[in-house]
Amino acid sequence: MLGDSRKAQEVFHATLREAAVRAARGELPSEPFWLFRDARWRCLETTKSDLQPESVEMDERQITADAESQIQCLDPMQLAIWISAAPDPQRSALALFYLDEFDYREILDLAELKLSELSRFLSKGRRQLQAWLDAKFPQRAI
Amino acid sequence: MKLLRSLRRQRSLLNCAPISARQLADRPMRSALARADGSAEFVDQQNFDRAVARLVRLIPIPAESAEWLSEKDLVPKSKRTWKNTLRNPAVLAISIAVAVIAGVLVFNFVSDLNDFPGSATARKLLAVAASTRPVMLDPVNAEAGTLSDLFFMKHGLEHYDVPDEFADFGTIGCRVFEDDESRRIAQIWVSEKRMQFFLFPAERNGKTGAVLTFPGWRYVHQEGWTGAVTEHNGVCFMAALRGGDKDLAPYVSQQGAK
Repeated sequence: MLGDSRKAQEVFHATLREAAVRAARGELPSEPFWLFRDARWRCLETTKSDLQPESVEMDERQITADAESQIQCLDPMQLAIWISAAPDPQRSALALFYLDEFDYREILDLAELKLSELSRFLSKGRRQLQAWLDAKFPQRAI
Repeated sequence: MKLLRSLRRQRSLLNCAPISARQLADRPMRSALARADGSAEFVDQQNFDRAVARLVRLIPIPAESAEWLSEKDLVPKSKRTWKNTLRNPAVLAISIAVAVIAGVLVFNFVSDLNDFPGSATARKLLAVAASTRPVMLDPVNAEAGTLSDLFFMKHGLEHYDVPDEFADFGTIGCRVFEDDESRRIAQIWVSEKRMQFFLFPAERNGKTGAVLTFPGWRYVHQEGWTGAVTEHNGVCFMAALRGGDKDLAPYVSQQGAK
């Protein structure tokens, strides 16, 4: 979500502190994903004050069978930064989806999206990532 | 239009298809996946998603934060709620079927609990009581307890005795008739609460011929009528009236009444 491990750590600890305080007061919400919702909002708050990426229309390409080998060449941090540069709520959708811990209904709930929106963000994200991969590893692009 | 909407929704679901193979509780997603199974485009998408998810797992987590996380409890597994389970048509149909079967079994069990040797005959005689008119009986003005001699002397019926609880009631009429199994039944009409008494042979064991006895008083019910039945010397006595158990209860001895 943030593309910066230091900021991510700060958000993580702030979220845990808040959870500990609430637990001590016996005010923990019964909703199962409140911790993730809270962390997401803290991430969004943190990035509000950052330099915002320029709003540019990103290239899109149909995903190919070779994408897997292109992705293997990526550095994990590069991917983290790429996802964190996406505008929200697409960023939240991609981050929550590729964490591979939530099913689509949970993501809809967490990111407050409709199914059509989540579908559009993921599909667009894949095509944009493919275009970026093609630009980054042109020799592997078909 | 509806088809178009359905296709669009299916496409949307496929775009959100789960990355790792997990048990899917969501029926629309299962159905969309089954339809898309094997399509080249979807296979590419799944391979793409898996590769990205593998890479995401490699994103380094600072040691200070990592120690807070354990693989097992990162996200509580979403459980199927009772509400969702109950909404499933198959579960609903099975539940109703099981409830009906259970109801029938309970009904039969309760009926069996109340049954006793002669209860079937007693129920038939309650139907007779409901349809009997005073003119059908021979007028008799005597205490019910004295009719034993009449039944013995006139009809040869031994032990057709009215129990002590009902022996003092004044009679309006009586008769002796044969039921559809040629058993001889004595019927007495008394003035008290327009009650009717029946005396009939107790049931016997089919093999040994021994009388099937039961202790105390037992209640039977039929079409708004209630009978209190007891057995003595191989003859059953039933006091019947229109009403419930509580109307008969004051008359019968409390010992052994069920």
